[in-house]
Amino acid sequence: MTAHEQETIFRRWLEEHLGLMLKVVRGCAASPPDQEDLFQEVCLALWSSLPAFRGEARETTWIYRVAFNTALAWQRGERRRRVGHETFLKFEVSPQVHPSHADALPEQEIVAQLYAAIRQLPPVDASLALMHLDGLSYQEMAEVLGISENYIGVKLNRLRKQLAEQWQGVAHEL
Amino acid sequence: MNFEELQKTWQAQPAGVRVTIATEALLREVRRNQRNFAVLIFLRDLRETGLCLVAVLFFGWQGWQHREWSTGLLVLACAWVGGYMLVDRWQQGRCRPVVNDPLKHCVTHSLQQVNHQIKLLKNVLWWYLLPFDAGLAAYILIPSARSWHNGLDACFVTGFVVGFCGLMTGALYWVNQYAVRKELEPRRRELAALLAGLEGNASPEAKP
Repeated sequence: MTAHEQETIFRRWLEEHLGLMLKVVRGCAASPPDQEDLFQEVCLALWSSLPAFRGEARETTWIYRVAFNTALAWQRGERRRRVGHETFLKFEVSPQVHPSHADALPEQEIVAQLYAAIRQLPPVDASLALMHLDGLSYQEMAEVLGISENYIGVKLNRLRKQLAEQWQGVAHEL
Repeated sequence: MNFEELQKTWQAQPAGVRVTIATEALLREVRRNQRNFAVLIFLRDLRETGLCLVAVLFFGWQGWQHREWSTGLLVLACAWVGGYMLVDRWQQGRCRPVVNDPLKHCVTHSLQQVNHQIKLLKNVLWWYLLPFDAGLAAYILIPSARSWHNGLDACFVTGFVVGFCGLMTGALYWVNQYAVRKELEPRRRELAALLAGLEGNASPEAKP
């Protein structure tokens, strides 16, 4: 892969899969500075992984793998905080946007609570929850995590119940 | 709200954060990072083996100048330690976890690496400290033995060398075991728990 090809693919992935990367980042890091830090790590890991990308795996599977592996290493503190380096992105929290009707929970609040619930989960469950909420198939999740589809099914059953229970509590509070 | 509704809301989630990416700066940063990583690895290897290389050259030259065979033992010890570190680094570099591997493979590799580091530091006495001690003791004791006049001289010099080597070895061994307890063991437990979560294993402990 030439440097030009690497750069072209990287730019396209950033455009097309930014949402996916942000979800992983927000699911693993709570504060905006941490999210910025982790996002930069994910970008660097993605760039380094590109020469090995042969198109055999789906792009989303590849990006999920890189993002989860990087996020787990980042959570374990194996990666140094990026201090004194050139900053290439800025996170700004947007103001809340229109709830569909007055008594409904604002969607943004629901999503924020879901992120908070995901961050409470053990790392593997958090990865599964993020992918499941994004609607990935069992096969895709198995490819990202390297475990069997059967086991994914077992874990997801437990996880759905756990998230639903947690959600009832949160919804009640809201 | 049931799970399907939550999922629908999730998939249609508003951004919540506004992200501004300076693509050119990002590309500059990733290229710089890649270069820095290569330099960092090179410098680390150079630091760890460079000292041994300098010692081999210095003591080799000194032994050659004075025609002192006992210096050869110290040269051999330094060469052994430096060579061992180089071979180990090369072997470990070959099985470094790849970030685009499935999560389970990546965690398994990381756990193997941590276990290897623990094994290396737990055995530091045998492959690093004792060979160096033996070389150092030979370097000091053998030439000085030629000028001993009586048993008292022998006891004094030998006692001093053994005491010095023992203290130095003990301190270095303690530092290494402290690093195992404080840094590597917690990381190993964390990785083992993660792997257990991926394998559906009830016990989070894994033997090193």
